[in-house]
Amino acid sequence: MVPFSLYVHWPYCTFLCRFCAFSKARVPAKGVEHERITSALLKELRTSLAPHKDKVLQSIYFGGGTPSLAQPRNIAQIIEAANSLVPLASDAEITLESNPTSAEVGKMRDFKQAGVTRYSIGIQTLDDRTLARMGRLHTGAEGLAAVDRARALFPGKVSFDMIFGFEGQTLDQWQKELETVLKHADNHISVYQLTVEPGTPLFRDRNAQRVVLPSGDLSAQMYESAVEMCTAKGFRHYEVANYAVPGSESMHNMGYWQGRQWVGIGPSAHSRFIDPSSNQRISSVRLPDIQRWAQHCEKFGHGTAKSTVISDEDAKQEAVVFGLRMLDGITDRRFAGISGGQSLKDYLHMDRVQQYVDDGYLLWNSADAKLAPTERGLEVIDSILIDIVP
Amino acid sequence: MLQTRLLVAIRHTRIASFARQPRAIFAHQTTTHVQWQSYAVRVIDRKKETDISTYPPDLIRNFSIIAHIDHGKSTLADRLLELTGVISKTGKNKQVLDKLKVERERGITVKAQSASMFYEYNGKKYLMNLIDTPGHVDFSYEVSRSLAACQGTILLVDAAQGIQAQTVANFYLAFGEGLAVVPMLNKVDLPTAEPERAAQQIEGTFEIDASKILHMSAKTGLGVDAVLPSVIENMPPPLGSIDQPFKALLFDTWYDKYVGVVCLMAIKDGSIKKGDRIVSTHSKQKYEVTEVGIMHPEPSPTTSLQVGQVGYITCNMKSVSEAHVGDTFYRDKHPVEALPGFVPAKSMVFAGVFPIDADEFARLDESIQKLTLNDSSVSVHKETSAALGQGWRLGFLGTLHMDVFRQRLEEEYDASILITAPTVPYQIKYRDGTTRFIRTPADFPDIHTMQDNVESTMEPFVLATMIFPERYLGQMLELCTLHRGEIQNHVYIDEARVLLKCRLPMAEIVSDFFDKLKSKSQGFASFDYEESGYEASDLVKMEVLLNNEAVDALASVMHRSTSVVAGRDMAKRLREVIRRQLFDIIIQTAANGKIVARETVKQLRKNVTAKCYGGDITRKMKLLNKQKEGKKRMKKFGKVELPQEAFLTVMTKSE
Repeated sequence: MVPFSLYVHWPYCTFLCRFCAFSKARVPAKGVEHERITSALLKELRTSLAPHKDKVLQSIYFGGGTPSLAQPRNIAQIIEAANSLVPLASDAEITLESNPTSAEVGKMRDFKQAGVTRYSIGIQTLDDRTLARMGRLHTGAEGLAAVDRARALFPGKVSFDMIFGFEGQTLDQWQKELETVLKHADNHISVYQLTVEPGTPLFRDRNAQRVVLPSGDLSAQMYESAVEMCTAKGFRHYEVANYAVPGSESMHNMGYWQGRQWVGIGPSAHSRFIDPSSNQRISSVRLPDIQRWAQHCEKFGHGTAKSTVISDEDAKQEAVVFGLRMLDGITDRRFAGISGGQSLKDYLHMDRVQQYVDDGYLLWNSADAKLAPTERGLEVIDSILIDIVP
Repeated sequence: MLQTRLLVAIRHTRIASFARQPRAIFAHQTTTHVQWQSYAVRVIDRKKETDISTYPPDLIRNFSIIAHIDHGKSTLADRLLELTGVISKTGKNKQVLDKLKVERERGITVKAQSASMFYEYNGKKYLMNLIDTPGHVDFSYEVSRSLAACQGTILLVDAAQGIQAQTVANFYLAFGEGLAVVPMLNKVDLPTAEPERAAQQIEGTFEIDASKILHMSAKTGLGVDAVLPSVIENMPPPLGSIDQPFKALLFDTWYDKYVGVVCLMAIKDGSIKKGDRIVSTHSKQKYEVTEVGIMHPEPSPTTSLQVGQVGYITCNMKSVSEAHVGDTFYRDKHPVEALPGFVPAKSMVFAGVFPIDADEFARLDESIQKLTLNDSSVSVHKETSAALGQGWRLGFLGTLHMDVFRQRLEEEYDASILITAPTVPYQIKYRDGTTRFIRTPADFPDIHTMQDNVESTMEPFVLATMIFPERYLGQMLELCTLHRGEIQNHVYIDEARVLLKCRLPMAEIVSDFFDKLKSKSQGFASFDYEESGYEASDLVKMEVLLNNEAVDALASVMHRSTSVVAGRDMAKRLREVIRRQLFDIIIQTAANGKIVARETVKQLRKNVTAKCYGGDITRKMKLLNKQKEGKKRMKKFGKVELPQEAFLTVMTKSE
């Protein structure tokens, strides 16, 4: 059975973070039209999952936006509808992202009852001033409390996000923050460097020099601290920004890096799958505007804005680029599944790969034909990729 | 960047004239009327051949217009062509004789063109041949050969700007050729025009009577009617006799893709027509004439060309290299005494040219060959650089010439090239009495050879002429001294303007001297130069080492006194443009093997996209492929990647 994933985009937020580049909208004054959004999501879900009935759902991910603002019963409806079209695997991972604000924390048990199995909390930072400056309506203490509560309900299945590289942050502050959150950590942590994405308020602030972010060297030290401290606590740095106790990796996210198929529903959601009728690799994206997306779902059964065929060459490139974001790298077997039999050795610039192996950036195991970055290589993988990928 | 520098240099001049004459700038707007490509079509559906045998020397005037850049030479040419009906008076004729795109864009004339006009004066019909000349110092070689086909020249001076450095240089060129120089004042309608003062300058500087000087505005046409009568009255007709055997001076040539080599000739004696057999004095090669005609302004066939006339000849010449400019042609079996001819164009600036993408070598080779067909003043030698691969060492008449060539390669041939820092032709005198020219820093002797075998190193000098308002005198003297110049003298050409003569190393001219001259004088200084021989000079080879390996394409030759500052500056600026890689990059500059500066580009510590999930895939892949493209344009030296900017850092100096 071919493993398959579903991504559900819940577009509303009670507050908009200055760094966020995801598609989102503030909750309207008259409230969210929960029934309309749910019904549109369900329509799109049926249309999109119907061709994939022969597969098995390994994971569902509720992202956003702030999906913890959704009504738990609507979440339950979506999970049930998905399961009725493509059966959920017995060990399926169903993650929901949540903010640590009190209202949402109160709904945790209901989400569990709705079928959610894994909880991901956006702490981002413990520094209250930074949280306020970034437009987030919660404190660091609330973040930790939310994690503690989630661990009670979803033992071994809780993750949280941390961000480093805020304005004025020192290495020492970051290490102290990490030390604190690690005491509350369950089996999974995501750690990102603050990224200044075009179109965000942060982007405008930085360009106008209203905000000065830490230098490249300081952020490298922060990244390295995270690797060191998380690893010391028994977490494995399995992907650039993700740490897990072995066995607790996010199955859903691994799917992206391993080139698995998924369908995304909701405004601006992306999908990547092989179209069973044409056998072509398809990449598609839904309309970003909530109203238009909902209207299209109501009228046509889906709100797809654009759908493109991915060439074999592009698919091979993607396989390597995303595979090498993981410390486990990419095996020839997985690559062959995408390349139609071509081996990594025949595809990559192997002379350069060898040079990077010699310099300690990559590992190439010719016995089981596996290419992986070393910890040092992972930190500069973007420089390496443009060299080795044809 | 050098390219920018030159553009800026030209723009300075433009701005200066713009400030004084707001509308003058439109004279340089690009319109395309005439293209050589249309030539073949015209030849094929040829109209009847014009008979111009009724014009004996008495009724012919061969003249040119010489002027400083932007003084209105091309505009006056347009007006004269309109006046004589050669081109229609649409009001849209802008620089009709400037056919190259680069000429129109920059408002300069690079390649001389000529045009014949018929003009009635005092009841007689005259054949007037206007032989256009380039205005810039780099092309003075072209000026002198155009002048050899003339008996007189109009010295056109902007009444607002007065005489400028090129006015002086061009005057002496014409004067040296024994031409009748007729000064005229242009742009007299400008509010800032000071015709009396300009006339005084002309009288004082050139010792010519300017009392009856013609006033005009080529732009509006004011006074232009009097130009041709003045030419007829003040310039002598060509000499020579129809009864003597055919004798002609080849003074310009170009390659046309349809008809092959076209030769512009001034007929000194006798006549020539289609079917005649002519011989080159230079090669003794015989040719059968396939067509003769005049430029009107397009090639227009005539029944013959005869003594005193100027026109084109096609004669199945295969390559421009056969058409030796300055050559004398005679009728087969009727040899004549050869004309003095010209000294061949001498390259003053050499630069390495390399394809950005090594795969483009063959195509670029072809493009360079084609372009040099019509510009034989570019010398071409193959060159191989360890850093840049296969390329060429090209010799140019000057940096503007080099830049024009680069622009034509890029625009007309869609070439993507990298040009190394220009170098002047240095000389090495060896103890065994031999002398060697250095075209490229790679030819510079190593330290051991320098110690054991080299008698002296020599560098070429120029004698520069600068004209500027006297308030800039202090700064100009300082600038010359700073550039190792030796002041010869300075004289007042009127109560407020100074003419300064200064001997400078040519190497100073090819770097940023002109730029500084323009900025320090707020655009008011004009500049021209002529060669002035070689002098012993303490030269060093400046090398750039990346992780202890010398990069040949970044080497340069310079005077020892400037080497420390230049070496530090270069290392610093290379550090700015070299991107961080996965290892430290040590940049060193060394003068004759001795390290003068060291900089480090620190190892890249982190380069990884922080966040990458489903929705980020497309964007991430786009970015990756863009970066891969960028990397392709980098030149790799060992493991160090050099962006193109690195090669430009050697060409310029920071302030």
